[in-house]
Amino acid sequence: MFEFISQTFAAVQGWVFETAVQPLIFHLGLMAYVEDAHNAVATVLIGIIEIAVLCAVLKPLEAWRPVEQWGDRKAVRADVIYTWLHRLGVLPLLIFLLLVVPVSEFDAWLRMNDMVRPNIEDVIPGITRNGFAAFLITVIVIDFVEYVMHRLQHRFNWWWALHSLHHSQRQMSFWTDDRNHLLDDVLTSAGVALAALAIGVPSSQFVMAVIAARMIESLSHVNARIDFGWLGNRLLVGPSYHRRHHAIGAGHEGVYRGVNFATLFPVWDMLFRTADFTPGYQPTGIRDQLTGRDYGLGFWEQQWLGLQRMKNVLMGRPASP
Amino acid sequence: MPERVLKRYSEVRLEIFRIVIKNMNKNNKLQYSFVSLCAAVMVSVAGTAWAQVAFVLNSSEDTVSLIDTKTYKEISRNRVGREPHHLMATPDDKSLIVANVQSNDLVFFDPLTGAQQKRVDKISDAYQLGYSPDRKWFVAASLALDRVDIYSAADLKLVKRLPTPRGPSHIAFSADNRHVFVTLQNTNNIAIIDYIDQKVVATLPVGKQPAGIWVTPDDKHVLVGVMGADFVAVVDWRKRVLTQKIRTAPGAHNFLPMGDKRRLLITNRVSNSISIIDMTTLSVLETFKVPGGPDCMELTADGKELWVTSRWIQKVTVMDMETKKIKIQIPVGRSPHGIYIHAHAPRQ
Repeated sequence: MFEFISQTFAAVQGWVFETAVQPLIFHLGLMAYVEDAHNAVATVLIGIIEIAVLCAVLKPLEAWRPVEQWGDRKAVRADVIYTWLHRLGVLPLLIFLLLVVPVSEFDAWLRMNDMVRPNIEDVIPGITRNGFAAFLITVIVIDFVEYVMHRLQHRFNWWWALHSLHHSQRQMSFWTDDRNHLLDDVLTSAGVALAALAIGVPSSQFVMAVIAARMIESLSHVNARIDFGWLGNRLLVGPSYHRRHHAIGAGHEGVYRGVNFATLFPVWDMLFRTADFTPGYQPTGIRDQLTGRDYGLGFWEQQWLGLQRMKNVLMGRPASP
Repeated sequence: MPERVLKRYSEVRLEIFRIVIKNMNKNNKLQYSFVSLCAAVMVSVAGTAWAQVAFVLNSSEDTVSLIDTKTYKEISRNRVGREPHHLMATPDDKSLIVANVQSNDLVFFDPLTGAQQKRVDKISDAYQLGYSPDRKWFVAASLALDRVDIYSAADLKLVKRLPTPRGPSHIAFSADNRHVFVTLQNTNNIAIIDYIDQKVVATLPVGKQPAGIWVTPDDKHVLVGVMGADFVAVVDWRKRVLTQKIRTAPGAHNFLPMGDKRRLLITNRVSNSISIIDMTTLSVLETFKVPGGPDCMELTADGKELWVTSRWIQKVTVMDMETKKIKIQIPVGRSPHGIYIHAHAPRQ
């Protein structure tokens, strides 16, 4: 079955690439990047499939058991743009272009000096050479790195100035997952890329891990009354658990400047005492929005205000831009 | 014996072999020896049946596929190292070397059975590799790290690390046991390296994104597949001048000789075709279609089948060389690149 899916996907990817992409890069004189372009086609196709699945599964869920009903959905529109830009690879491409030079230079320097990166598949031969086991380890390690970075996003004021954009959505839906400041995206992507490099994640495993994570993250933002139950909430981040992270008065407050930071596995929150299993579906947003702080409605406005907030924090100015 | 019985016998043997190869632990010497013995017995019993395994490197999923060339079935697909691209036989033909770019190692296989023999570490970023004609030197081009490494062939100890302009890709040797030619994919040049004096002696412009490279049997010309264009550049390497462009088709990429010291195949990746070049007249004899971004090739010893990695569609395409039509396409792993069959046409 997996082989059938893989071959079908390869056939579609090959057709798109040979018909539309390869002739273009040939005429642009960019054939040195032909393999990268072929991979980029896969990214776009995967993104389209992801969005189709999200619309087919999560949209009906939001219609069936909505937490909130909105008459005006203007605030969601920007989130839809973020999602398309992300899943079609536009933002990942920008991030890749920014990161590819430093990351590959660092990797090249390591290999030039005969320092071969460790390989996750060689950690416990016999276990980790099993593809699924290696995939699971990859997901767990990357999820932990994301948990740590997420704590830092709330911990450092300058980083929170960017990350607060994600939390400022008061009409949270499955589209909200990709609503991030671009600079915030660059920082977190760099962290994940370096972690993947450090533990030696094969690129194919990395892509699979990212896809799996993105699907679960979209689900966890869904505007639907879905609770995984006592055990489920402790095994996997779900909508009710993650909604608490976005709740006004809980998502960025308290000793740890927030609760429920985990992306996929709540175990990290339980280990580091940041888990909050309070039942219910609270309104989402940031407390200062109640006193009139504006985080912007459109894509560019949100990006600009994020930079302003960060600049003010770094220059020690009052919080409001 | 009736043919169907023989066929069934062959299928059962194939299945046993597949299971054994798939489950063997390469770190267990006892098990490895047992499998090698079984394989040897199978080869002797089955005549050439087991001498016909095709190796295919799936560069994006770090695996090597073994394909039975009689049944066209994939026998196994196992992890080999990180990002394998090219492979070649040792000069004594007793081993097949797979070079893993990202894990900085070479893996040696029994070219008949596919059983792993050994792994050699610290051969960093070996994208393309080759032995000098006198078998004294082993040279590896490091595409990502912009250098060419020269090793002593006997013990694979590094002798010299030569920095080059960007993108050293494919390599070919002159017959004089002194020069190696390297395409520099990102600078539109080729480099001529004197590996005895261990220095780059010249760089020559040939065209956009040069890839495959081949030396004509008379040792006079270096042929270069110009991937960013539609021609093969002909270089008189002693005079160090580009003398001719042989028009093939867009995306001229990699070479394989047909074994008669005259005809040379070249894949044209963008146009999805393969051209046959006459190395004596330096002209195109024929061009035929091959789908899926044809990359590396292998021609069977009888010259009847051309096996081609179709990079963009995750398949190996087997061409019937009489009709120039597709005989069969075999699904393999992601981004299939290097390919090798032990019973191949002479490399000349």
